Amino acid sequence: MHDARLNPPRRLKDILADELFEAIPFNLAVIDRDFNVVQANRSFERHFGDWRGKKCYMVYKKLNRPCDDCPSAKVFAEGKVVVAESVGVDHSGQETHYIGHAAPLRRTADGPVEFVLEMTRNLTGARSWQQQYQVLFDRVPCYITVIDQEYRIVRANEAFRENFGDVMDRHCYEVYKRRTSRCPGCPAARTFNDGRVHRSNKIGTGLRGQDIHYAVTTSPLGRTRGPVKHVIEISNDVTAIKKLEHNVVEAERLAAVGQTVAGLAHSIKNILMGIEGGKYIVSLGLKKKDQTMITEGWEMLERNFNKTTTLVKDFLSFSKGRLPVLRMIDPRHPVTEIIELYKEVAGRSGIELRADLPKTVRKAPLDSDGIHTCLTNLVSNAIDACLMGEQKGSEVVVRLTDAGGKLIYEVVDNGSGIDYEIKKKIFTTFFTTKGGGGTGLGLLTTRKIVQEHGGKILVESLKGKGARFRMEFPRKRLMALLKSGNNIDADIKE
Amino acid sequence: MAKSAGKTILVVDDEADVRNFLRAALIEAGFNVILAEDGNAALDEVRKKKPDLISLDLVMPKKSGAKFHRELTKNKEWAKIPVIIVTGHARDDVGKSDLKELTMSGPGIYLEKPVKPTNYIAAIKKTLGMDTTEEEAKTAEMVELQNDLKNIIDDADPETLKKLKELINRKNK
Repeated sequence: MHDARLNPPRRLKDILADELFEAIPFNLAVIDRDFNVVQANRSFERHFGDWRGKKCYMVYKKLNRPCDDCPSAKVFAEGKVVVAESVGVDHSGQETHYIGHAAPLRRTADGPVEFVLEMTRNLTGARSWQQQYQVLFDRVPCYITVIDQEYRIVRANEAFRENFGDVMDRHCYEVYKRRTSRCPGCPAARTFNDGRVHRSNKIGTGLRGQDIHYAVTTSPLGRTRGPVKHVIEISNDVTAIKKLEHNVVEAERLAAVGQTVAGLAHSIKNILMGIEGGKYIVSLGLKKKDQTMITEGWEMLERNFNKTTTLVKDFLSFSKGRLPVLRMIDPRHPVTEIIELYKEVAGRSGIELRADLPKTVRKAPLDSDGIHTCLTNLVSNAIDACLMGEQKGSEVVVRLTDAGGKLIYEVVDNGSGIDYEIKKKIFTTFFTTKGGGGTGLGLLTTRKIVQEHGGKILVESLKGKGARFRMEFPRKRLMALLKSGNNIDADIKE
Repeated sequence: MAKSAGKTILVVDDEADVRNFLRAALIEAGFNVILAEDGNAALDEVRKKKPDLISLDLVMPKKSGAKFHRELTKNKEWAKIPVIIVTGHARDDVGKSDLKELTMSGPGIYLEKPVKPTNYIAAIKKTLGMDTTEEEAKTAEMVELQNDLKNIIDDADPETLKKLKELINRKNK
């Protein structure tokens, strides 16, 4: 029960005097000039333990002598507030980080400082986070740097320093690439500009002059709006992966050489077989004085000599490592040319060859000779397939579509089709089912040209139901090829 | 040669030059010859008249040699027809698995292109169990030995080959 007469309401000043000391969420302690703790709040006691009759250094740090750099001594001497961060020992013996605010207490306004009020706040949690963050920053297995608006490195992690040396305050382009000016297509510049994340693949130079391949991500430091003051660059070292990729390419190249040599040997074996046969039939004819036989054998010899010529020509054109020469052309042109070229030949064999083209189509960067070669190969294959098939009313359609950002050429026939076993092999060097008619390089050359354009070639076929060869060229890639000229160091756009 | 007469050989190969070559050699040796340019045509010919032996290429359009052989052996009567393989793909990825399947399942003899007429005829006569001249018998044996050696060398690992070479060198010293 509250009785106002027995307990009159306190004035605010009294409330503060009575309770503020306990209510403030800090550890409070008052010490005298001899460093005796003369008063402390419960929060202080909970944290540092019993204080009564003890010196402050005994309580804060569990020491037997005053601290070397005592902030309170300074307050007694200078009469001003001192703020300092310290490491002490708490009641349970654990290390504790705290920030202390030491203020002078006087009995009169101009009197001497008789006591110091020490307000300390525990920072142990924050400091341990900070330490963990520092360890993370240093030990994370990628390079991290922070650069300012002048592209100077203001922070760098351990991994970065190990590979690039002492880098503080140096320009990032100097450190990463030994350049004297900013790199072209700098992703950090874009981040400073638009405040967004950017990525890029680069090759830098390490401390020992070695190439370091890295994939860098730049992002603004901090999440506030307004101009970006610092950019954090996080780079993954992909040198080892690049090396592996290189090894794989090399291994594939060697395998391809092996395959090519085996294929070449096979082609030559076939030709030798023809020559062997021609030789034999000519000699039989001579023995029997049979003119028809001699002619037959001689023709065999001639055919196989010609095959050698074709083989060598195809072989050379395949091995020629020419990069596509891209020009902005109407993608319909090569189709029209091929139709004109083959229409008559096809017609003579009862095959209808026709084009299916869009009414309008945007120009695209293509190597017209290359596309011409591809279409020639596919159309002549299609005609051969129709000749081999048993169907009547054979037709070959060359179709161009421009949809979904892709230019697509299709050569569709309703000829003999390709069965599964052969489909697995059609892109193999020198594989041919045309008997004497092919060298087995046509589709391989076609695929090579398509790949050089950044495209891909697909085949759909069921035996006896014709085939559809499809060459897809993403317009984006064609444009990128045109701009950069096959640049591996090209930036990856977001 | 007299016994060759009356025996019919079916030559299956997609290359006209090869067909004509083998036909000339066979006719010269006194055989009757039927030609087929792929597995389908070959099956048609077998249906019309069962040959005494089939000379078979492996890699052909429409129906490959292996597929043809699979169908051939489904028929009990046809399965007995001896087959010899004449191929250019004996040792590459395109033909190797087919050849293995065929040599395991029946035809024991294969000839690798380019073939010489004498080897070809000798191999055919031997397969048919016909009388051969001493020279022909010797040739056929040589062909078989050659094939066996080729297979062994193809399957051997380089280390073993190295050891063999060392052994031979030591003996020759």
